[in-house]
Amino acid sequence: MKATLEARSKPVSEGGVEMCSVRAGETAFGVPIMRILEILGAQATQPVPLAPSFIGGLVHYRGEVLTAVSLRRLLDLEPHQGASDVLVFEGPSGYFGLMVDAVGEVITVLPEAFEANPSTLDDRRKALFAGACKLPNGLMVMLDPDRLDPMRLSH
Amino acid sequence: MDELTREFLIESQEGLDRMERCLTELEERPRDGELLADIFRSVHTIKGTTGFLGYSRLESLSHAGENLLGMLRDGRLIADAEIIGALLALLDGLRAILASIEADGSEGDGDDRAMIERLMDLQNGDAQVHAMKPVQDAQGQTVRRRKRKPAASGKRAAKHSTALVVSGGAAAMISSKDAQIGGEIAFPVSRSAVDKLDRLETLPGNDEGAAKALATAADSTLRVDVNLLNRMMNLVGELVLTRNQILQATSADAGFTMLSRRLDMVTADLREAVMKARMQPVSHVFSKFPRLVRDLSQQLGKRVRLEMEGQETELDKSLLEAIKDPLTHSVRNSIDHGIEDPAAREAAHKPAEGLLKLRAYQDGSHVVVEVVDDGGGIRVEKVRDKAIERKLISAEKAAQQSERELLQLIFLPGFSTAAAVTNVSGRGVGMDVVRNNVEKIGGKVEIESRAGKGTTLRLRIPLTLAIIPALIVRSRSQSFALPQGVLHELVHLSAEQAKEQVEWLENAPLYRLRGRLLPLVFLGSMLEQKEAAAEGGGCYIAVLNADGRRFGLVIDGLADPEEIVVKPLSPVLKRIGLFSGATVMGNGEMALILDPSALAVRASIGISSEEEEMQTVGDTVKLDKVESEFLLVETGSAQAALPLSDVLRIERISRTSIERIGQRPVLRFAGTVLPLEDPSGILDQPYEEGAEMTVVVCRDGGRHVGVAVSHVLDVAAGAPLTEAGTEVVSPGITLLKERVTSVVDLSRVPPLPAAEPELAMEMAV
Repeated sequence: MKATLEARSKPVSEGGVEMCSVRAGETAFGVPIMRILEILGAQATQPVPLAPSFIGGLVHYRGEVLTAVSLRRLLDLEPHQGASDVLVFEGPSGYFGLMVDAVGEVITVLPEAFEANPSTLDDRRKALFAGACKLPNGLMVMLDPDRLDPMRLSH
Repeated sequence: MDELTREFLIESQEGLDRMERCLTELEERPRDGELLADIFRSVHTIKGTTGFLGYSRLESLSHAGENLLGMLRDGRLIADAEIIGALLALLDGLRAILASIEADGSEGDGDDRAMIERLMDLQNGDAQVHAMKPVQDAQGQTVRRRKRKPAASGKRAAKHSTALVVSGGAAAMISSKDAQIGGEIAFPVSRSAVDKLDRLETLPGNDEGAAKALATAADSTLRVDVNLLNRMMNLVGELVLTRNQILQATSADAGFTMLSRRLDMVTADLREAVMKARMQPVSHVFSKFPRLVRDLSQQLGKRVRLEMEGQETELDKSLLEAIKDPLTHSVRNSIDHGIEDPAAREAAHKPAEGLLKLRAYQDGSHVVVEVVDDGGGIRVEKVRDKAIERKLISAEKAAQQSERELLQLIFLPGFSTAAAVTNVSGRGVGMDVVRNNVEKIGGKVEIESRAGKGTTLRLRIPLTLAIIPALIVRSRSQSFALPQGVLHELVHLSAEQAKEQVEWLENAPLYRLRGRLLPLVFLGSMLEQKEAAAEGGGCYIAVLNADGRRFGLVIDGLADPEEIVVKPLSPVLKRIGLFSGATVMGNGEMALILDPSALAVRASIGISSEEEEMQTVGDTVKLDKVESEFLLVETGSAQAALPLSDVLRIERISRTSIERIGQRPVLRFAGTVLPLEDPSGILDQPYEEGAEMTVVVCRDGGRHVGVAVSHVLDVAAGAPLTEAGTEVVSPGITLLKERVTSVVDLSRVPPLPAAEPELAMEMAV
């Protein structure tokens, strides 16, 4: 099942940013919807032997074979049981995928809700996370696709 | 740059390319009116358009050229070496200006007066005296003298001009990319050109008919943007994928199968048509060489005859572009380092004139381009000493290597054996660049050399980049694509056989393949796949030959061969080094494409020894005699042969899995039905519970057929036999291991019964 999001044509409501909430393990993450090219639901991924640990595998996207980064692997979590959803982004070195457990709803968040990474967070996560977002029912970790580009992660 | 200028540049460059070809031909046939008209047209077109676009330098230059060419065309002058030299210089001059326009839109600020004056000079009577003397009569010995200039200054001018001509030639080779040559205009070729002309006289394949064909082919073609073709090729690739998926998904439904077969055919035809559209004859690249060889050999004081073969061989345009530089480099190398000067050649009892042969031909899914010279060859000891001196290899290691391995050292960066560094080649960048460029497009470079006899450099280029035939193999639960090109044979081992027959020398696994030890590489452990292999499952050994490295790749299972569309991997995954790409298979799954040479290198498989090389040489000789390889099998009490090229795989199956449609034995196999041929009635014999049998799965045209055999014996080369008293090769038999053996005729296996119309009617009632 493929769901094309007409993301780029959607107007952003006053001052707020539309974030797509995704889940990996117990944590909720938010990805700016403007950056998502496509969401591939319950996608079969092909593992790549000898690849860096953060690589989840290959995904088929419109005739291309994309390298997908696994959010769980990035965070040293146990592998997810069952199929993963894959978000497709465009980075400086081409398209790439991000494997998450599941894609949730789209949330409009206001600038006031943003806050930088807390200084107590470990360095690795500080480098990966773009900050936190305060929601009525909890916190959401902001993700910046630029930081998740496999080329950048491999450095 | 505006559209008009771009059009003009492309057109003019094409015109000049054609002019260059014609000029080198003109040397042989100075009176050929058609050639002259063609050259005149090229220059005239440039002149016409430049005036309109306001390029004054181009206009005055081409005007001067046009006048001279007009006289030639009208027969008032005969083209001699001097005139041709001047016209070649004009060509370089025009090219340089075009390059400058392409780079920055201006004509550059060179001074063309000398050139124009020269062209004017040639039009008056003084040149005419020379022209009257036929070029052919000079036997390369007499030096022509011109009264106008003192000999000393003439010599100096000649020296000066040669260097410039060569730099102009180099500029032509890299076409218009180099912006710096704008102001540099080649001057007339040295007068000694006259002496050397005769050698270039007879180029095979360059007869008038060919020249005519070239001209008309150029007229009937259409210019298409390469990007558009790339896009079309990608779409066709997608279509192939979709076709594969449909073929797999519909194998159950008969009506749909028909439709998908048709889709299959249409896709294949379309693919071929698009590929054809991208194809160009190698003559596009070869046509540069007569000029290059002429200039270079003059500069180096050597006598070289150029022969070109297979110019009509076609290659994908982008690949053709990619081999242009490596090929130029190889030709330069051959003339500079390979072919000796005339004195040295005569001392070695060889004709004073060296032979350089460019040969192109198609070999399966590859095009082979060879640069062959009959020069001094490469001395292996010299290569070894040089490599040790440059610390490219240690003396101990060098001592252990075979001649063939040592010869490969010339491909290492920073290697050059030239005694003196010349300005033609030998700057230490050389063969490694050739190899890199060719490997970048998936090709291979091979070198063969015999000291004193000559050198053959062979560039093996894939026909196309996008789609390759591959065998899908399984390791643990994952599929990988193995390019068919490197696959020699497949050996199946049952679990017990694997335990017994895989031998270990310390920690190196080996297999005895027909008496010779074959080093094994376990794909699963190479890829550090953590899953354990399935219990009790057998395995296959894929015998591969990657760049002369022969080894057996041990895999868990096989799937059907497939035509795969190569998709590039992201840089992160490319860095792993063992995969050359990825593909989407018919079933929608993705598979990584294995790089057999990289696997071999990582497993430290050495390049096969001399002895094996001899064997491969032997094999090619056999091929020339139309021998082919056969799988020798035992059927019942008799032996029979199956053409190895048609054998897909060998299956061990349980006797009980044989089913029958009417009298016809068939085998159900992964959702498909395989008709079985039983040449000696093995299937009719009684069997015990749990008995197994062997089926050889073969390709027969577009379908697969199984042959029931008792044992698979060997692979051997078979010689054709002609029926006594006739010249007709009998297709049904072959001489195999000194025994006349019958070849199983696969086409005799009747097709599976089609749904009979009456039967279908009855069922409908």
